[in-house]
Amino acid sequence: MNLSRLYTLLLISSLLCMSTSFASNDNTDSPLRIAVAANFTPVLKELLVEFHQKTDIKTQIISGATGALFLQIKHGAPFDIFISADSVRPKLLEQQNLILIDSRKTYAIGQLALLSMNNKAQLSDLASTPKYFAIANPDIAPYGKAAKQTLQHLGLWQQYQKSLITGININQTFAQVLSQAVNSGLVANSQLVINKLAGVVIPSSYHHPIEQQLVIVKNRNNIDHAKRLSQFLLSPKIQQKIVSFGYANNAFTRQLTQQERSNAKP
Amino acid sequence: MPSPDLLALAVTLKMAALTTVILLLIGTPLAWYLAKMTSRFKVIIEAIVALPLVLPPTVLGFYLLIAFSPQHLPGEIWQQVTGQQLAFSFSAIVIGSVLYSLPFVVQPLQKAFEQLGDSLLEAGAMLGAGTIDRFFTIVLPLTKASFITAASLGFAHTVGEFGVILMIGGNIPGETRVLSIALFDHVEAFDYAKAHILAISLLIGSMILLASVYLLNLPSRKERE
Repeated sequence: MNLSRLYTLLLISSLLCMSTSFASNDNTDSPLRIAVAANFTPVLKELLVEFHQKTDIKTQIISGATGALFLQIKHGAPFDIFISADSVRPKLLEQQNLILIDSRKTYAIGQLALLSMNNKAQLSDLASTPKYFAIANPDIAPYGKAAKQTLQHLGLWQQYQKSLITGININQTFAQVLSQAVNSGLVANSQLVINKLAGVVIPSSYHHPIEQQLVIVKNRNNIDHAKRLSQFLLSPKIQQKIVSFGYANNAFTRQLTQQERSNAKP
Repeated sequence: MPSPDLLALAVTLKMAALTTVILLLIGTPLAWYLAKMTSRFKVIIEAIVALPLVLPPTVLGFYLLIAFSPQHLPGEIWQQVTGQQLAFSFSAIVIGSVLYSLPFVVQPLQKAFEQLGDSLLEAGAMLGAGTIDRFFTIVLPLTKASFITAASLGFAHTVGEFGVILMIGGNIPGETRVLSIALFDHVEAFDYAKAHILAISLLIGSMILLASVYLLNLPSRKERE
């Protein structure tokens, strides 16, 4: 056989192999694809146990950084529901008309906690600036923004500048403290609860509420199932369960934010 | 239904194998061309081939994501030809891997072809061997070691790939969730036990692969004497 013909044959056959995959692309029975912010994934997995008992909906969890998942949904990722770690990205998706109308809901309010692996942390420890202090990046991570607001509230932001080790997300910050590479840091309280660690919860009056929202992605086949999951997560019983994982009480904070809004109006 | 990690292993092996085949098919003529090229234009092509070594994978992944999305031309053309969306598909991660691992295949082959020299090929041509004949009877046997190195480096580098696939793959089980991403997921979910198992099997697997390649490349006793 001619070399160039053999070559073309091989190239074409390998290109054909590319388009086959293991999972069937049958849309009629495709599982509900849940894109979830990495720091909520362990909690979601616990909650889904009950969801699977109640319904026969098959689910698939795609865990990732909120920013990356947002970008992927913007570029057509096949996700049915997006459980974000913030409210900024869900709002952006809503503005870009990529989600089902009125599907943007707050499912949890994050709480910040001070964690130190060397000694039992106390809130008063914050006054003396440590050599290194871990927070998530205030510009991109919601827990980082709240950490910055907390330090500002305490008048410590300036003197902490040289000590700050910023993680790209709260999971990285948590790993930095857990590994004792950094002595202490501000992490998500839910991380402490899941890992059975002791820390100090930062009073929620120190920072704006960390509203975590979910949205249902438009133009997908699984919208009914996505709606059922959304209703399930917002049901009083599950909301209570979410609080037990280290989140603030949703109803209470919702009132607070409404008050703030009405205060801000005049 | 196999366990999620086994599924990720299957996707990884399939992706890496396919990527290696495509890389050898594209990389061999490209390396040959570069080795024989005398024009100054050569350095530009060499630089482009080497770019994935410098570019942070997430940056490369970000631009590939934009290119592959149905809103932009490459992704649009793909969708019209195949009827399927390119971004977040198995095809997308293979194309991404081919680009990302290109220097690991082209560079060893180019070095080998450069060292080969022209005299043997000219002698072959004088004896009446055609192009194919000369490639299979002169070039391939003499550069076998470099082909093995190129293929194994391309394969191993693709198995270890993370940033590009995370961006353009979308982490879909059975389709684009590969071992490195499954491992990352376990760490993010604080499931360190599963993460350790995956990490150690990746480590042992890569160790065996690389060691056997170097064993293959070890000159036999006869050759050394």
